[in-house]
Amino acid sequence: MQRNDKIRDFIESTLARTGRPVQDTDLLLEDGIIDSFGIMALLEFVEQTFSIRIDGDELQPDNFRSIAAISALIERKTTRLAG
Amino acid sequence: MTVDFSFTDDQIAWRDTIVRFARKELNPGTDGRARAAEFPREGWRRCAEMQILALPFPARYGGCDADFLTTALSLKALGYACVDGGLVHAITTQILCGLQLLLFGSEEQKERYLPSLCAGEKVFAQAITEPGSGSDALALRARAAADGDGYVLDGTKTFITNGPIADVVLAFARTDPEAAALFGISCFVVERDVHGFERGQPMEKMGLTTLQNGELIFDGIEVPGDQLLGRAGQGAMLFNESMEWERALLPAVHLGTLERVIETCVDYVKQREAFGKPIGEYQAVSHKIADMKVALELGTLMMCKAAQAKTDRRRAPMEASICKLFVGEALKSACLEAVQVHGGYGYMAEYGVERDLRDAIAATIYSGTSEMQRNLIARLLGL
Repeated sequence: MQRNDKIRDFIESTLARTGRPVQDTDLLLEDGIIDSFGIMALLEFVEQTFSIRIDGDELQPDNFRSIAAISALIERKTTRLAG
Repeated sequence: MTVDFSFTDDQIAWRDTIVRFARKELNPGTDGRARAAEFPREGWRRCAEMQILALPFPARYGGCDADFLTTALSLKALGYACVDGGLVHAITTQILCGLQLLLFGSEEQKERYLPSLCAGEKVFAQAITEPGSGSDALALRARAAADGDGYVLDGTKTFITNGPIADVVLAFARTDPEAAALFGISCFVVERDVHGFERGQPMEKMGLTTLQNGELIFDGIEVPGDQLLGRAGQGAMLFNESMEWERALLPAVHLGTLERVIETCVDYVKQREAFGKPIGEYQAVSHKIADMKVALELGTLMMCKAAQAKTDRRRAPMEASICKLFVGEALKSACLEAVQVHGGYGYMAEYGVERDLRDAIAATIYSGTSEMQRNLIARLLGL
């Protein structure tokens, strides 16, 4: 499963409040797809699934605005780790 | 998976030292201070000298470099040996404020605030709750409007622990009123001598009377941009993160208190006789205390699981909420049963059992009510 699909699958199966499919660029928080409770679960999922740690400056809502934004954050983190 | 239930030599040493220290230095005079609702300044100072406030912070800021689990176990020891629940709660709040500065502060902020926090020279408070937003904490209305390089802060906070005596406040306010809650909240470090900042009188409470809670008023306070903790819009994430630490650390204190309550009950039911034998020999009594012991052991395992996760810098929202819910409810229930086990003596102030009960009721309210913890757990289950 691709990275975006893994994130989407978790959001749709565990966190989503709307019951409709979630697209890569849908605004997760602003459109009420996930709420403030869900953000910590999403963080935990992303950290465990992609073996990264997100803290300090990276704990920005902007980094969790959409599936695409989360995926970009993971990309930056894993590229940095590999480098 | 490996599970090791043994404590390290350091953890045992901290526990033993704190227990001896608290019994000798902190407990004398507690009854009078609790009746007068007086903050134990001398006890606070002595705890600072013992470096209890400094436990989890790096040595370069005046800390002890203890890991989070060791800090939690040390506070459990303090909750056990110190009968002044208000003092222990005030200390825990100070440590939690320091953790937020450590995790999110700039290097300049850490150097400026952490040494005085560790030394107890300044009292810290975290201000999020408002008259109109308690459990729905992110619905806060305090406003920090951008003004040049800084902000102008307006709003009123309430029930703030350490608020009436705070020298430094981590204040949460809305920096973007149009944005969704998670995007629009920021956290500011506010010092008490700034113009427009007012600390209210301590509020009278049912329990934890030596703990000082009250209103904080921010009336057009000018906050420089470098007093922002983390980045603009990061406040809600910072708050969520800090709740995980808090929901592991406060239950550690409660578990210590629960351990003391059990000991008090066991001692009493062994010597108190009725109908020709110690009342502890009646199952109606002994089963109550057995249930307390079960809760203590299970709660300790859960607290250690949550604290170990935070030591490893892992997320633990589920563990922290389970811990907070289970331990808070267990302590309240045990304290109520302790009064019952002690009969008329339990109802009298002289024995201290009723004070533990009054203190314990708050454990199911602050840091997220039990109902909110159940909501969180359900949400994490996808419900």
